[in-house]
Amino acid sequence: MSPRLRYVVHRLLATVPILLAMSLFVFLMIRLVPGDPVRTMLGFRATDENVATIRTALGLDQPLLDQYLSWLGGLMRLDLGQDFISKVPLTELLSERLPVTLELTFLAMGLALAIGIPAGVIAATRSKRTGRASTAFVVASISIPDFWLGIMLVLLFAGTFRLLPPSGYTPFAEDPVANLRYMILPILTLAVAEAAYILRTTRGAMEETLGTPFITFLRARGISERRIVYQHALRSAAVPIVTVVGIQLGVLLGGAIVVESLFALPGVGRMIVTGINQRNYPVVQAGVLAVATLFILLNLVTDLLYGALDPRLAEADA
Amino acid sequence: MRALLATPATGRVLDVQRLGVRFEVQDDVVSAVSNVSLTIDAGEIVGVVGESGCGKSTLAMAIMGLLGSTAHITGRVELLGRDLAGLTVEERRQVRGDRMSMIFQDPLTSLDPAFGVGDQVAETIRAHRTVTPAEARARAIGLLESVGIPAAATRYSDPPHRLSGGMRQRVVIATALANDPALLIADEPSTALDVTIQAQLLSLLRDQRDARGMAILLITHDLGVVAQLCDRVAVMYAGQLVETATVEQVFRAPRHPYTQALLAAQPSAGLARGSLRVIGGQVPDLSDPPPGCRFAPRCPLVRPECDSPPELLAAQPGHSVACWADPATHPGAAATASSTGAPRGAAA
Amino acid sequence: MTTAATTRSAPSHLTRLKRRTGGGEALVGFLLLGMLVFIAAGAPWIAPHDPEAIATGRVLGPPDLGHLFGSDALGRDVFSRVLYAFRVSLSVAIGSVILAALIGVPIGLIAGYRGGRVDAMLMRPLDLLLALPALLLAIALIAIIGPGALTVLVAAALIYVPILARVVRGSVMVTKQMPYVDAARARGVAERSVMIRHVLPNSVGPALIQGTVLMGFAIQIEAALSFLGLGAQPPTPSLGVMLSDGRDVLTQAPWVEIFPGLAIAVTVLALTLVGDGLRRQLDPRGMAR
Repeated sequence: MSPRLRYVVHRLLATVPILLAMSLFVFLMIRLVPGDPVRTMLGFRATDENVATIRTALGLDQPLLDQYLSWLGGLMRLDLGQDFISKVPLTELLSERLPVTLELTFLAMGLALAIGIPAGVIAATRSKRTGRASTAFVVASISIPDFWLGIMLVLLFAGTFRLLPPSGYTPFAEDPVANLRYMILPILTLAVAEAAYILRTTRGAMEETLGTPFITFLRARGISERRIVYQHALRSAAVPIVTVVGIQLGVLLGGAIVVESLFALPGVGRMIVTGINQRNYPVVQAGVLAVATLFILLNLVTDLLYGALDPRLAEADA
Repeated sequence: MRALLATPATGRVLDVQRLGVRFEVQDDVVSAVSNVSLTIDAGEIVGVVGESGCGKSTLAMAIMGLLGSTAHITGRVELLGRDLAGLTVEERRQVRGDRMSMIFQDPLTSLDPAFGVGDQVAETIRAHRTVTPAEARARAIGLLESVGIPAAATRYSDPPHRLSGGMRQRVVIATALANDPALLIADEPSTALDVTIQAQLLSLLRDQRDARGMAILLITHDLGVVAQLCDRVAVMYAGQLVETATVEQVFRAPRHPYTQALLAAQPSAGLARGSLRVIGGQVPDLSDPPPGCRFAPRCPLVRPECDSPPELLAAQPGHSVACWADPATHPGAAATASSTGAPRGAAA
Repeated sequence: MTTAATTRSAPSHLTRLKRRTGGGEALVGFLLLGMLVFIAAGAPWIAPHDPEAIATGRVLGPPDLGHLFGSDALGRDVFSRVLYAFRVSLSVAIGSVILAALIGVPIGLIAGYRGGRVDAMLMRPLDLLLALPALLLAIALIAIIGPGALTVLVAAALIYVPILARVVRGSVMVTKQMPYVDAARARGVAERSVMIRHVLPNSVGPALIQGTVLMGFAIQIEAALSFLGLGAQPPTPSLGVMLSDGRDVLTQAPWVEIFPGLAIAVTVLALTLVGDGLRRQLDPRGMAR
């Protein structure tokens, strides 16, 4: 088996225990709630009778291991149970809400890359003044809470200029233009801070690479500066950029939860938050499971990209 | 660019006149190279020799135009009769890799780890000639073979880390010679390699010189390399030239105290005498060098005149030295220990 | 022949101070941070008004001399409210990092020093914690335990333990190779003493830097969770809650929204500057993230 293939297999296999451990944690979430989760869920409607009924219905009276295994089995069949309050099957809920979160996350990361990488290259290769300006931008962007930025953007675009709606959503399939009108501000809110991280990483990696001997040798051979920067230096910067993207995906998913609540977007994040406020534990469980799985899979993709980008990493690991 | 700098079959390739390089570092100004003049003709191999930190690499980088904006360069560098300072930045870039090339000490860090070795040769060709990718590839394979890399076609896409050190340096030479430059500057090309590979590499350089008639400027600290390869040699100390001569002249009859000390400090010389001779003292701080001769603090022949800088003057045809104590250039100076300075060279 | 003309003047006091704190910006950061901590600690004495005092006559009043940040929908002085809420945020941030350090640093120390099986045993479970996005983990914990500022503190600490442990472990693994560690062992110093007195002090640099970064995150996380209604609950004041409430009056009284956000931004800025300065001093090789 070639070393690259071995690397891929290793990574795939390594993901399995992580998924299992995460699923265990999510499974235990309801059971860890202090007091009786069923009573908490029912709130003032709790009577001894329906508490017992619900408990049996949710399978909470079975031994723990059985519960876990049957829950896992349900997962395999894509049956996650129901929303406790609305009785809608959770799989259905997720299939409606996950695309919203995905759209938000991916477009935000895409925009951040589109801004951050070129800006990082410029910051690394132009004058000192540009460098200082970019540092100032990065520090400012990282310091500002992203949801506050979102609110300021709403103030600006929806309040003062009345260009964009402050909240709401239309699915892309229905009306792409309307969808984008609703999504621009949320995406922008998340993308600014992300772009700052990417800029910083790109710039750092570029500056480091541009100081190495092989760059000097390229210049000694009269290769054009443009080619040196974009074909050689940027290639070396790719690995740290992928690293930071991987780390930031987690941050981005967290931020998406907040932004969804801010802009009233019907995504998984908002579903989780509403679920907590309603004590709707099955919904919370399903939401956390979905987002966590998404994160783990995205990390897997990032790791695989590493192996593709830098053959030495793949060979060393195998 | 070929029209701009046509290669004569013979004649002066490089003419460096009074080159000085100053760096501004924080609050200090470091005078790394001071008043260096040398010439190289087509087919000549000239060595610049000196300890680490004497400025020889800076000299090479200055000639190539690879120093950053922190460097202030004075003096004149003429390549094939054309003043390089008169060229635009873009023209200088075109000259590099085409009419003049440079190779560095460590072949592993000289090559891009993510590209195939053949691609890197081809890249140099395509940077300066309009050829199709297929032609560039064919030429690259030819070049790799001519520097002694077997089965070049199969190894074309190998990344540098798959080759041995000696092979890598051959690849580096191939990329440098891809466009048949008039001048090759080699900065310690064999220092990072084993002694046996070293010898192969040096003879490769000689063969290429014979085949192409190019001029080579060889930077090294190793007098053995100089003896093997060079026609003429310039000795540098603390950023200045102290002696220039043919290799024969320098080894047979060195005139400058520093050169003499260098030769005496060579292990082979020491073994014959049973002890290693050391040059006492330290290299001067180049942000605050002595006003006169920079070797004076360590020189066994120091005298009052040494407070002012000595000129590089011809003692014999082809042999110049910058020393107040040299009888040929300063008649009347006795080459003996003066009363003001005690001899510092001591047996280790 | 030219002589190199150099005049090296003795560095001024300011330059020396700048160098010792890792750069001019870091100095600003330190000063700013000091000021902020002082303000937070002294909120009860500095605040001009009672943060809960309702004044119907001053509803949505703009900033003026008596009310530096204006008044909110209930006529309460925004400046005083920000002061008290900031106190809570800063306490949570500092508390979470300290708690995380109390747990994470020893784990990292032991894991890095012992290596091998002990290392794997200690770090594996922590790595699993890293498998979840931070905010999600915090939200999940709040779902279990219930909302509140204290929960946020604990949740943040939990997220930070693996990060700090990893950083400490990394620098311990480098430090334990140092000759002075071998020298101590050769003198017969007990292993535990070696760990605590020789390895630990020399490994904390990167952890300190990471700590400042994490503090900055903690403030933002606390604000975000409170914004969602999952953090500090009334009557505990909170910047996040203020940011949430401020949306209702955004167009009429933007100052209600702007100033709490600025407070967060300035604090994180100070922490970032301090962190960068520390990094330049303590960790030029970049072992902290």
